[in-house]
Amino acid sequence: MSRIEISNLVKMYGSHKALHGIDISIQPGEFCVLVGPSGCGKSTTLRMVAGLETISGGEIAIGDRVVNGLRPKERGIAMVFQNYALYPAKTVRGNMAFSLKLSKMPKAEIDRRVNEVAEILELTPLLDRKPAALSGGQRQRVAMGRAIVRDPEVFLFDEPLSNLDAKLRGQMRAEIKRLHQRLENTIIYVTHDQVEAMTLADRIVIMRDGRIEQQGTPDAVFHDPDTVFVAGFMGSPPMNLVDCMVTPGGLRLGGTELACTLPEGLRAGDRVTFGIRPDDIRPAADLPGGVPVTLPVDLIEQLGTEKLVHFRAGPHELIGKTGGRVDLAEGTEQRLAFDMAHAFFFDAETGQRIR
Amino acid sequence: MPTAPVPTPTPDKEDAVTPSFRLPTAAGTPYLFLLPGLVILGALLSVPLYKVVEYSLYDNVIVERNPTFVGLDNYRDILGDPGYWSAGFNTIVFTVGSVIGHMIVGIGLALLVNADIHPRARTFFRSMLVLPWIFTAVVVALNWQLLLNPFGLLNYVLDWLGLITEPLDWLGNPDLAMWSLLVISTWRGYPFIMVSFLSGLQTVPKELYEAAEIDGAGFWHKFWHVTLPQLKPVIFGVALLDLIWTFQLFPLVWLTTGGGPGRATEVLSTLTFRLAFVDFEFARAATVAVSILIISAAFTVLYLRNEARRL
Ligand SMILES: Nc1ncnc2c1ncn2[C@@H]1O[C@H](COP(=O)(O)OP(=O)(O)OP(=O)(O)O)[C@@H](O)[C@H]1O
Ligand SMILES: [Mg+2]
Repeated sequence: MSRIEISNLVKMYGSHKALHGIDISIQPGEFCVLVGPSGCGKSTTLRMVAGLETISGGEIAIGDRVVNGLRPKERGIAMVFQNYALYPAKTVRGNMAFSLKLSKMPKAEIDRRVNEVAEILELTPLLDRKPAALSGGQRQRVAMGRAIVRDPEVFLFDEPLSNLDAKLRGQMRAEIKRLHQRLENTIIYVTHDQVEAMTLADRIVIMRDGRIEQQGTPDAVFHDPDTVFVAGFMGSPPMNLVDCMVTPGGLRLGGTELACTLPEGLRAGDRVTFGIRPDDIRPAADLPGGVPVTLPVDLIEQLGTEKLVHFRAGPHELIGKTGGRVDLAEGTEQRLAFDMAHAFFFDAETGQRIR
Repeated sequence: MPTAPVPTPTPDKEDAVTPSFRLPTAAGTPYLFLLPGLVILGALLSVPLYKVVEYSLYDNVIVERNPTFVGLDNYRDILGDPGYWSAGFNTIVFTVGSVIGHMIVGIGLALLVNADIHPRARTFFRSMLVLPWIFTAVVVALNWQLLLNPFGLLNYVLDWLGLITEPLDWLGNPDLAMWSLLVISTWRGYPFIMVSFLSGLQTVPKELYEAAEIDGAGFWHKFWHVTLPQLKPVIFGVALLDLIWTFQLFPLVWLTTGGGPGRATEVLSTLTFRLAFVDFEFARAATVAVSILIISAAFTVLYLRNEARRL
């Protein structure tokens, strides 16, 4: 269990700057998830912590040691790769024991550890199989087992579940969470699945184009986003984000007037990006305190327990939610309410939150 | 309630209009195209093959108009001839030694030129290192003779370094000739292994090396636990192929030592040549050739089995 301190981390690939000075401070035992769109530098950051990429600038400390110059094996880390990277010629036992053998651990101790971890991960019956004879989920568990036997200070995961089908991914997600509760190691976990991020993380770091957009608890990044990017990235279906004109009494949304109070500093005629989550747009009857609007229903997506309702507001499309049993017809006008207490406003130019 | 007219499905236009360009021929067409190749192969392979086997069953072939059929007598003679057995032994030494040399040097150099160096330097080294392969055997043999000659460069250098007191006749000394031959053969043959291994190296997933690095593996551990297991089928395949080639290799041996001094480096291929074109014993030469053929065929079957398993 170790603290990880990443300060002003820079990565250059030739003349291309992949990371522009990243600062992350991870507490001992914290589960830190890096999310962001493809190419934003998540893997690069993780691999620099692992020691698989050189550090172009800045510092990484694990525990009390600056590890910039250390080789991967000296950093006290273990890593789980996206494609598992199991040694194909070795059995499950051989895969798990490899690092321990290299560290010259006595055979009896190796056996004890491998058996113990295999027990935890339910791999015991598979110990003598080769990776080719395992299912995707089993390989995934072996990859985790190989990391766990070493009892590292820090676990690094790079999209470990992305090759699994949806159901298995859900199971493994829970399993990883349980493992973390049990082992209490510090974890850095890369994903672009924001459900994984929300459910697993103690701290979410949202990255974009080699910079950190926002970091904080899942609650904070979800309910209190700093930028329009974070607001749009976290949540599925995503937050409705529309460019609006501020009017004396509120906002003009397409052709409709939305009466509401706005943050101080916004004047009539200003352009803002107005953000509201689908959960906060409901049929007027369900949301007595909301601001009423009437809009035409464009499309309905039935999800079972609820329906996603796409509305048209001038050139914009908004998504709202109703209960799964509410009867709505496409093409009809619908009376809705916007819960403006949970609306967000962002600078239309910079994307920064206006509070 | 008025029902909307059901749109009649229009037939897929392209389906209807596209003419069929298929020629009205039987299913045998592909074989027609194979025919020229098959004929040439047949003429160049089966006829000589048949002839050689036939010769080995006669006495006094070619030199006499009416050779006599002697059945397996030639084989009995050959198997009773210590010269044949010594050539066989030399062939094994030469073949196994060469293949081992090719493997060690080829794999070692492949690992070196696969290193993370400047791309231009890498291309340079890669091209330089395949050179031994592209010279003809005559050039190779001549160059090595110049090097290994008693008054050649190697002796000069060794003398200058004070390592020898009198020049060594590397190719003419019965104790040294085979070793020298092995060095030449290794130099000549490693590029094939190097190139094969190098292309194999590109197929090893990078993540495996990274995983091994995190697990604490150094260079040798990575080589032993990641590279070798991944490339085992490739290595086995090229080693067998190399074995088959080297087993019947003729020009390099003939042009450097000529099988000598004495019979010190006589291998089965040079023995065949000597029997045929020095002693004019064509029947016995054919017999030795058939024995080479049988052994090579056995290796070839092994090789093909290995390839089939890989696919
Ligand atoms: N070896 C490399 N050479 C040059 N550029 C690279 C290299 N590796 C990554 N990059 C660049 O660095 C940036 C960050 O890449 P990185 O792999 O960290 O993205 P990521 O956030 O992990 O994306 P993904 O979700 O697709 O895995 C990208 O623009 C990528 O093109
Ligand atoms: Mg990545």
